[in-house]
Amino acid sequence: MIRDGVRRFFKLALRRRDQWEREVEDEMRLHLALRAEQLAAQGMSPDAATSEAVRRFGALSTSRARLLDAARHREHHMQRTEFLADLKQDTSFALRTLGRQKGWTAVTIATLALGIGATTAVFSVVSSLLLHPLPYPHSDRMVFVYQEPSTGNRTGISVTITPSAPVVRAWMAGSHDFEALEGYNSSTVMLQTRDEPVKYQAARIFPTFPRFAGEKPILGRMFTTQDIAQRDHVVLLGEQLWRTRYGAQRNVLGTSVTLGDSTYTVIGVLPSALRPPVIGDAPPDFWMPLDVNNNNLGMMLLGRLRPGITSAAATSELDSLVARSGTDAGASALFRTRLAQPSDRVRFRDSLTMLSGAVLLVLLVACANVAHLLLARTAARHRELSLRAALGARRGRLFRQLLTESLLLTTAGAALGVLLGWLGLHTLVAMRPSSLDELRVAHLDTTTLVVAAALTVLSGLFFGIMGAMQSAGNTAQNTVRTGAAISPGRRSERARGALVVTEMALSAMLIVGATMFMRSVSNLQHADLGFQPRGLYAVNLDLSSSRYATAASKAAVITGLTQQLKQLGTLRDITVAGDPPNSMSFSIGRFEVDGETPPPTSETSFIEVKSVQPNYFRTMGIHMLSGSVFTDTTAAAGQVIVNEGFARKHWGTQSPLGHRLRIAQSDSEPWLTIVGVAADVASFGPTMENTAPMLYTPFNDMVLRSTSIIVRTGGSAASIARVRGLVRGFDPHLPVTIENVEDRTATSIATPRYVMLTLSLFTALALVLAAIGLYGVMAYAVAQRTHDIGIRIALGAPRRTVARSVILRGAALALLGAVIGLVAAHWGTRLIQHELYGVAKSDPVSFAAAVIVLLGAAAVACVVPTRRALAVDPITAIRAE
Amino acid sequence: MPALPVLKGTLDLLVLRALNWTPMHGFEIVSWLEQAAHGALDVEDSALYQALYRLEERGLLSAEWGVTGNNRKARYYRLTSAGRAYLRAETKSWVRYAETVTAILTAPRNSLPAGDAA
Repeated sequence: MIRDGVRRFFKLALRRRDQWEREVEDEMRLHLALRAEQLAAQGMSPDAATSEAVRRFGALSTSRARLLDAARHREHHMQRTEFLADLKQDTSFALRTLGRQKGWTAVTIATLALGIGATTAVFSVVSSLLLHPLPYPHSDRMVFVYQEPSTGNRTGISVTITPSAPVVRAWMAGSHDFEALEGYNSSTVMLQTRDEPVKYQAARIFPTFPRFAGEKPILGRMFTTQDIAQRDHVVLLGEQLWRTRYGAQRNVLGTSVTLGDSTYTVIGVLPSALRPPVIGDAPPDFWMPLDVNNNNLGMMLLGRLRPGITSAAATSELDSLVARSGTDAGASALFRTRLAQPSDRVRFRDSLTMLSGAVLLVLLVACANVAHLLLARTAARHRELSLRAALGARRGRLFRQLLTESLLLTTAGAALGVLLGWLGLHTLVAMRPSSLDELRVAHLDTTTLVVAAALTVLSGLFFGIMGAMQSAGNTAQNTVRTGAAISPGRRSERARGALVVTEMALSAMLIVGATMFMRSVSNLQHADLGFQPRGLYAVNLDLSSSRYATAASKAAVITGLTQQLKQLGTLRDITVAGDPPNSMSFSIGRFEVDGETPPPTSETSFIEVKSVQPNYFRTMGIHMLSGSVFTDTTAAAGQVIVNEGFARKHWGTQSPLGHRLRIAQSDSEPWLTIVGVAADVASFGPTMENTAPMLYTPFNDMVLRSTSIIVRTGGSAASIARVRGLVRGFDPHLPVTIENVEDRTATSIATPRYVMLTLSLFTALALVLAAIGLYGVMAYAVAQRTHDIGIRIALGAPRRTVARSVILRGAALALLGAVIGLVAAHWGTRLIQHELYGVAKSDPVSFAAAVIVLLGAAAVACVVPTRRALAVDPITAIRAE
Repeated sequence: MPALPVLKGTLDLLVLRALNWTPMHGFEIVSWLEQAAHGALDVEDSALYQALYRLEERGLLSAEWGVTGNNRKARYYRLTSAGRAYLRAETKSWVRYAETVTAILTAPRNSLPAGDAA
C-alpha cells in the first residue's frame, strides 16, 4: 500500500523538472515568434525578422542555459518554501492531534522512553561488568595466568596460585604465544611523615606495564630495567595522591619519600587512568618496580595473547616451558598452568547473563507495545482518515502528515529515552556496592542505545503509518458510504493476544527471578555464620620490618601490645591468631588420616590451617561441638581441632576425637591428634562454601611475618578508637591495619543485593510495560466493539455483564501468560540456582508472588477499558456508526 | 544618442512597474518597456526573463499559464501583494536617490557647503 504513496510522493518533484524545463522552452519560443511577427509587421523579410529576433534575445545557447538555470533556482526555492509551509502545517496539526489525546500520547512516549532508556542503562551496567572487565587495549586477548595443582585435590577446594618468580622468568624468556606478560603485586605501605605514618596502597609493576595498558607518565619518566638491575629506590606517584597530597606540584620530581624503612626517589607521576589489573581495585598511590629476579616477591600475572592463539595452545606452551626450565623441578610436576579469562572472574556471571537476556526481551516488549498502541489509535481514527481521503486529500499528503505525527512522537520518546538511560545508568552506578567498584568506569553503551532507539522508533514509524494508510486507502469509500467500521480480523486479534501473553509470560519469569533474589538476600542477611561478627575487629601487625628481626622481638611486640589492650578494660575479649579471621592460609602436602590408605605420593592438597590461641573460639563466638579447645599448646603435644564439615564428611556420625592426621611433606612429618570439633565458620560471608576441611593448630611463638590480634568491642566507635590510639602510641613505626570483621562479611552480601536490586527494578519495568500492552489490547478491543456494546446495552444487557466480558478477557490473557511464564521460570531458575542462598528451585513463595502481582497488574490495566465500555451510551454508539 | 544599458537592479523595478496595472506575458512586458523608454534603454530580451524568474523566486511575482488574444498559450505574470509593497518602497527610494544625485551633478559648484563636499 505504501509503495504507491511513496512513489507518488517522490514522483511529484521528478515530473516537475521536465515540466518547468518545457515551460521555459515554450516561453522562449513564443517570445521569438511574437518578436519576429512584430518585426515583419514593420516591414522586414520573414528570414531577417527571425534572425533579428534571435539577436535581440541574446545568443541562444548561452541565454537558454542562463534561463534554465534561473528557472531551476526558482523552482527549488519555491519547493523548499512549500515544503516548509507544509511541514509547519503538519507539525502544528500533529501537535494538536496528539494534544487532544494526552493520555494516549503520554503512555506511548513513556513506553518508548522506558524501552530505550531502561534497557540501555541496565545493559550498560551488565556489559561493563561482563564484557569489559579490564580497561586495557585489546582486552579481548587478555588472560590471567595462574597455576593449579596438577593432581586431584582431596580437600575439594579449588585453588589457583600465582606463579613463582622463577616460573615467570621461564615464561617471559621463552613464550611465543604471548605478546606481553605483566606482573602485578599490590601491598600496603606506610608513608613516614612528620606526624605519624600514613597507610597507602602500593603496586609493584614491570617497566612495560603502562605501555601495555595504553598509558604513560603524566610527569617525569617511568622506571627502566636498568633502574631495577641497579636496585634503585625509585617510585612513581599515583595521580590522585600527587594532586591531593603534593598539590600537583611539578617539583615533586627528585624529592624523596620514606615508605616503611626505605627511602625512595620520586621520578614521575602515573595517571589515574592507569588502572590496576585487579577487578574492582582503585588505582594505587605508589607505583614501584617489580623485580622479576627477586624470588621473594609473588605476583599475579596478566598476559596478552598473540592474535589467533587459543588458550589451550598457550597453556601447553607455558606448561612445556616450566617443564623444560628445570628450575623448580618439584613445582613443575605439582602444578600446571591455568589461564583465566578476565570475565571468568566476574561474580554473578549467570545472573548478569540472564539480566542481559531480559534486557533484550523487554526491548522487544516495548516495540510490541508501541505497535499495539499505534494500531489501536489507527482504529480509533479510521473514520477521520477515510473522510479526509474521501474529501480529496492526496495520499502523499496524508502519508506526510502521519509521518510527521509519528516522527514527533518517536523523537520525543527517543529523546526522553536517552535522558532516562543516562539518569538510570548514573543511578545504578551511584548505588554500586564497594565490591563492584569497577562500575565506576561504566559508560552508556552507545551501540545498545542506537539499537534500542532504532528498533522502537522504526516500529513506531512503521505501525503508525502503515496502519493508518491501509485504513485510509482500503475502505475510504466503504466507511463513508455505509458507516461500517472495519471489523478486526480474527487473525490480527489473535496475534495481538499472543503478544500480550508473551509479555505477561516474560514478566512472570522476571517476577519469579526477582522474588527469588530478594528472598535469597534476606536469607543471607539472617544467615548463621558460625561466629559472631558484631563488634569484632582484627588488629593486623606487619612484623616483616627489620626492627623485629628476631623471634623474641616479635613475641615481645605481641605480648606487650596484648597486655596493654587487656588493661584498657573496655574489650570484652582478646585473642591472638596467625591470620585475621577472614583471610586464609593453606598448608600444602599429602593429606593423610591415620589408619587409612595414604594417598599416592604425587598427590598434593591444600588444607586451610589457622594457628590460634585456645581462647580464639570464645572470642570469635565459635561453638565447640565436641571435645575441647587446646589443653597443651606445645608443638610436641600435636593437638589439632577440626571443623564440623570435615568431621562429618570423613567420619560421618562417629566421633573424630582421638583420630590422627597429618599434612605430610615427608614421611617423618609428626602426626596430629584431634582434640575437638568446631562449628563451620563462614568468615567470608554466607555465600562462600564453608565445609571444606579446616584445621586449627595452637598458636605459639613461631611468628613469621605477621600476626593478628583479634578483639571484641562493645560495638561502639569510641572503643575501637581507643584501641587505635593505644596501638599508635605503642610503636608509631609499626605498620598496623585495623579491620572491621563485620564489614567484610557484609561486603560479601553486597553484590547479590545489587544484582537483586537491579533485577527488581527491571522486573518492575517489564511489568509496567506488560500492563501497558494489556491495556493497549483491551482498549483496542473495546474501541472496536463500541457498536456491539451499544447494541447489547440497548437490547437490555446489564452493564455488569458487559464489564465482566471485558475483565474476563483481560484476566484470561494474563493468566495464560502467567502459566506459560511460570513453566518457563521453573525451567530457567535452575540456571541461577547456584547463585541463590536458601531458596529452592521451585520456591512456592516466588511462584505465588508472580501470579498475584501479574493478576493485580492485569486488573489495573483493565480498569480504563472497562470503564470506557461501561460508559458507552447506546444511542450515541449506534447513531455514530 | 545610443540606447543606454540598464543599471543593475533597476530592471527588476521596471518590470514590477510594468505589471502594476495588469498581468502581462513576457513579450508584452518587453514591448511596454520599449514604448515607455522610447528606445532609450537597451535591454537584452533574455535578461528580462531572468529578471522575471528571479522576482518569482523572491515571491514578488506569481505566474500562471493563460491564452493570448491570438489564442496562443503564454505565461502571464502578476504582482503579488509583496511585490506591490516592494515596488512602492523601492520607487520612493529610487526617486529620492536619483533626485539627490541629479541635484549634486547639476548644481553650480559654489552653492555647495565646503565641508560636505570633501
